[in-house]
This record gives sequence, structure tokens and C-alpha cells, in this order.
Amino acid sequence: MNEHAPALFVALEASNFAAAIRQSLFLYPLANVGHILSLACFAAAVGVMDVRLIGGLSATAPARVIGRARRFAIAALCGLAVTGFMLFAAEASHVVLNPVFQVKMALIAVGIANVAIYELAARRVVEALPPGAPMPTRARLAGGFSLGLWLLVAACGRSIAYF
Amino acid sequence: MTKRVAILAALAIVAGPALAHHGWGSYDAAHPVTVAGPIVTSKFENPHVTVSVRGSDKTWTVTLAPTSRMVSRGASAAVVAVGKTISAYGYPSTAEKDEMRAERITVDGKTYEMR
Repeated sequence: MNEHAPALFVALEASNFAAAIRQSLFLYPLANVGHILSLACFAAAVGVMDVRLIGGLSATAPARVIGRARRFAIAALCGLAVTGFMLFAAEASHVVLNPVFQVKMALIAVGIANVAIYELAARRVVEALPPGAPMPTRARLAGGFSLGLWLLVAACGRSIAYF
Repeated sequence: MTKRVAILAALAIVAGPALAHHGWGSYDAAHPVTVAGPIVTSKFENPHVTVSVRGSDKTWTVTLAPTSRMVSRGASAAVVAVGKTISAYGYPSTAEKDEMRAERITVDGKTYEMR
């Protein structure tokens, strides 16, 4: 326990919930494995969406491909959030002060903001496009930015243990 | 940028399995220590079991393996309970004062590998 952490995170780590995760033989490893599997699904779904936005898979209808992948991406993101929260809670007071964790959380916020901007500013145009139509620049930008950003988030996640 | 991301991602993929859960990077493998003495506190918890050991020079925090690995190697909570005498061979932390990461421990004449 790091008492210098903000009280909220000290309390989270001291909670029965966090203690149960630490003391169970299987909960922590389960959350760890679940986080990686969710990440794999998330990367696959986001990869399909972003590649389509950049202009790849151009023979497909954007609305259909992106619409299907979106459901998987949202489900996987929920899985990441649940398992991530379990891993975080177990060591909250230490992890919250970890610089790489802080960068990771900021990058996730940027990633979600990117999704929001895309949804507001580009989604309608993109999903009206027929197969083979060129992608507008804003869609290409959103897709390319997203792809790089989520890879960085994953790299940060793995790096938390080393800082 | 894309190249940098690719390099970072590749590093993360390669470094992950090779170093297991936590890096051994912040432990000084060039200067191994053996800490022997009674166990003063014991936390049989994930992600790593930790015990504090009253050594001859000072009290060390000794980081062991995840609980499931401890159990599968026979080093149950009873083996590293408070009051047991332990000998831990491992590497001192370069980040945390008086902490070391055990490569192996010996309790009651039995040796358990932590990696």
C-alpha cells in the first residue's frame, strides 16, 4: 500500500473487492488472461474498422463492415474495462502513481475522443459511401490516428510493469 | 511516427513473454544476495507473494512468485507463514529500498524455485 496516493485509490486497494482479487488463486490470473484476450479482440475489430477508413478492403460497403466490427469493438472494450479495473484495483495505490499508467489513461481518453469526433463529423458521410468509393480525408485521418494510438495504448499497458 | 509505433509494439511483444509478469530489469542480477532469518510478515497475495524477513543486517521485503505458482511448486501459505525460518537467494531491487526478488527459497530444508 502506498499511503501517498490519493485517498480514493488507497481506499480502493484496501477494499474487500481488491483483497478478494489479490487473495484468490485464480481471480488475478483470470483478469490478466481476460485482459489480453479482450485486447486481441479489440485490436482485431478496431483494425478492421481503421483499415476500412484508411481505404483498405475497398471492395466492401463501409457501413456494413464498420457496423459489424463496431459491435465487437464495443464488447471487447467492455471486457478490457472490467478486467483492467480488476487488475488496477488489486494494486490501485501503486499503479495510479505509475507514470506509464497515467500516460495510458490519457491516451485512452484521446482515443475515445477520436471516436466521438469521428461519430459526429465523419460517420454519416462514410456509411453512405458505396463499395469502392474513395474515403474522405477526415475518415483516413481518424482511421490512421486510431490505429497508431491504440497500438501505443497496448504498448503502454505492457510497460506498466517495468516502471 | 508509424515506424516508432511499430518498434514500440514489437518491443512490447518481444519483451513481454521473455520477462514474464514483472521485469527483472529493476533487480541487480550482478549482485545476488542471500537473506536468511525468520519471516516477520507474510502476504500470500497476487500478483506476487511477499514476505518480510529479519536478516542479519536488516529486515528485507522479499518478493516471491504469484500465488498459483507458489501452490503448484509446493510453497503454500503454510510454508511461508510468519515464524518460519527462510533462506532466500535473489537480487536486490535497484528501485525499492531493502527489497529483493527471490530466485529460490529454502524452508525446512526444502528448496522451491520461484521462476
